Amino acid sequence: MEVSLFHAALQGLLNIVQLKVFLAMLVGVSIGTFTAVAPQGLGMPLVYAILLPVVIKWEPLTGIALLIGASAVSAICAAYLPVLFGIPGGSGSQATVVDGYPMGKRGEARRALGASFMAGGMGCVIGTLTLLVALPAARPLIYLMGSPELFVVMLWGLSMVAVLAGRRPIKGLIATAFGLLLAMVGQQAQSGIMRFVFDQPYLLDGIAVSIIALALFGIPSALDLALTRLGVEQQPAPLRGSLIDGAKDTLREWWLVVRCSFVGVWVGIVPGLGSQVVDWLAYGHAAQSCKGAKESFGKGDVRGVIAPESANDAKDGGDLITTLLLGFPQGVVTALFIVALLAWGFVPGPEMVKKNADLIYSIIWIQGIAGIIGTLVGFVLAKELARLAGLRYSFMVPILFIFILLGAFSVNRDPVDLLVVVCFGILGYFMKRFGYPRPAMILGLVLGDLMEKYLYRSMASYGFSWLTRPGVILLLVVTVVSFVFTLRGRLVRKTEAGSLSGGAIARAEDDR
Amino acid sequence: MASLRDRLFKVSPALGVLWICLSPASVFSQAPFFQGKTITVMQGRDPGGTGDLRARAVISFVQKYIPGNPTMINEYMPGGGGRKATNHIYRSVRPDGLTIGNMSSAMVSLALLGESGVQYDIDKFFYLGSPYSTYHAVFISRKEAGLSGIEKLRAASGIRIGAQSVGFSTYNEARLFAYLLGLKEPKFIPAYSGAELDPALMRGEIDARATGADTVEQRNREWLEKGLVDFHAIMEVPKGDKHQRLGHLPEIEGFARSDKERKVVALARAFRVAGTPFFLPPGTPKDRVRVLQEAFRKAYKDPEFYKEYKKLTGDAPTPLLPEDHEKAIREIPREPEVAELYKKLVGAGPLPPR
Repeated sequence: MEVSLFHAALQGLLNIVQLKVFLAMLVGVSIGTFTAVAPQGLGMPLVYAILLPVVIKWEPLTGIALLIGASAVSAICAAYLPVLFGIPGGSGSQATVVDGYPMGKRGEARRALGASFMAGGMGCVIGTLTLLVALPAARPLIYLMGSPELFVVMLWGLSMVAVLAGRRPIKGLIATAFGLLLAMVGQQAQSGIMRFVFDQPYLLDGIAVSIIALALFGIPSALDLALTRLGVEQQPAPLRGSLIDGAKDTLREWWLVVRCSFVGVWVGIVPGLGSQVVDWLAYGHAAQSCKGAKESFGKGDVRGVIAPESANDAKDGGDLITTLLLGFPQGVVTALFIVALLAWGFVPGPEMVKKNADLIYSIIWIQGIAGIIGTLVGFVLAKELARLAGLRYSFMVPILFIFILLGAFSVNRDPVDLLVVVCFGILGYFMKRFGYPRPAMILGLVLGDLMEKYLYRSMASYGFSWLTRPGVILLLVVTVVSFVFTLRGRLVRKTEAGSLSGGAIARAEDDR
Repeated sequence: MASLRDRLFKVSPALGVLWICLSPASVFSQAPFFQGKTITVMQGRDPGGTGDLRARAVISFVQKYIPGNPTMINEYMPGGGGRKATNHIYRSVRPDGLTIGNMSSAMVSLALLGESGVQYDIDKFFYLGSPYSTYHAVFISRKEAGLSGIEKLRAASGIRIGAQSVGFSTYNEARLFAYLLGLKEPKFIPAYSGAELDPALMRGEIDARATGADTVEQRNREWLEKGLVDFHAIMEVPKGDKHQRLGHLPEIEGFARSDKERKVVALARAFRVAGTPFFLPPGTPKDRVRVLQEAFRKAYKDPEFYKEYKKLTGDAPTPLLPEDHEKAIREIPREPEVAELYKKLVGAGPLPPR
């Protein structure tokens, strides 16, 4: 029986006011928190695969509370690695390292963590509210963004990097180009041709972005500690900033949180974009739009932490829109969630919206409440986790290397990954030393594969006529305007300052 | 009499020892071998996907049917469409019955088509069956493309057919459908992910695609109810197994014009029938193979397995028993010209002329 969505939303909320549902949510939050703070390898897909046979025997709402509780929280608490150790977190938390780690080194680890958890929590809530409001109308949006529009969005993302490299535009372009080249390794999806594989089975699927990111950022950070013989936070300057300061920063930058959360929701909604781009797109947007970002981003600007973290957590809301509304999984976790729903007798998609609207809204409410609880848990843990930044280098360096190697091995469980991480770690060290922006390379790697795919599909489906699509024209105009605007701003500052104004990422690379 | 009894009494230990030496199997049963041991199920995929769930559903039942109730654990080795893990099992794993492989059906097709990176021989494995072996591929087009009926489909030129990557089953099946249905210069557009194909079809970015009949029923009921797509043909795996709702569609083999084309369809069916095979490496002692095959057989026939599998994966299991699995692998058409035609059909170039 179809009911009004307002009544369904209300009923959905009432349905979850049960002790066992709340307890299941708390257990899920605990599991999600543990997954976030444990060494890489125990990802959400594996957790879901282990939990699924158990929870499908439970009542649906209780099982849903556990599963959603776990996944809603794992992204919120994932910022401690980038902030404390300079190691990129999971997909969606890589860009946090650009400003989070400098904050940690400057004695502001607590502030950075406070900002990340608050931003994550707010992002989760905004994502949930968007889900709440947009559910009835999200389908047209999903169908609006085709391959041509997505190609232009990727182009916009790529243009951000070229601009953000600022002080060293040529080096930024070289780094991006190298990332694009690396993206070509492996079997090309549209032709089946093996590129740069050299008959090595290891290279058939390309090199995992997470391994390269881990190596490029993690090993130079660890070497940095070893060579300077200081802990992360052992600086001449006294420790400053607190968790509350970080939370206040986030509340002050509420408009940035909202904008980046919408970026996250949108990435979550559009099938195929993936979580690897969400944080970079948000970071790039913040770097282009925030006042003074050109000078401060990359040096430990808290906005450089707020932007990616809010987007990363809002993305889950977008994922759920596509999963619940259309029955399309956006990744392994949502695919498994669909399996659970099917086991309980619910079929995600338009049917579920019509017949089980209250259940859908229960899922949405659980998502939002779990996000708030996860934020609180993050704050409780952050104080203790932040102490790690004060440990001596002789203790931290071996632990960092273990984390890095464990994280790399856990991706494919292939010993060759350890060799790859060492090679790219050395590359990352020299890139940092000679001022080649590493984030530019990562963005080239992440966007390269997507851009090639979208361009190919656009040409194959439409020929050149895709360039005349209204959405494409609009997005191209936005891309060109933002590019020109940012360049113009650089030129003006160059004239005023009488010296090159550095870009965010180039500054991060100067930080030795 | 006493002396005979005495003699028998004296001789009997020697007779006993002789009996033990001549028939050790009846005395030293293989059952204790698996007792206290750990069996590793090596999956050629990432953890957490549907393949992983299928494997877990089977393993939880197999475990109780292996004498000695060994511990069974999962390991994951993704890469190369299963090539990395299968190569590893074939070449590096000790063949003692304590490592079982589980891959997608691509393990079979990659080997038979001579793809690069394959370092194993599918005929040398010992097969333990598969939890599913039934599949119904359908070829559909969006209603707005106006391609209702085979004649309109054949008359249109340049139909845009979307698929996942080259070599993926939806791509292979789409190419097969297009070839046998006689489409005019179809344009194949691979490189979509699973989640992108249906929106692309509804958006009009592609005109047609191949997909599973069960997938349409589960995920796209709206298409069926509102008539948003036209269904053109079906490929039954195994042949003759009618789909409950779409079984009325013309079977693709009916469009074949020659024996060679019929064999290509049989080859495509055979690749699908392989399901997600469980297997043991070459050299595994035969008695341990028999024990494990019997355990898998019992698991597949367990009524509780049916319920649990459906609950966990959303699909009803259609298990292939170990002996049927080995038979299916043996009976895959191996004629070079059939494989050659199949390779051209599933390649990235234009479809070969008929």
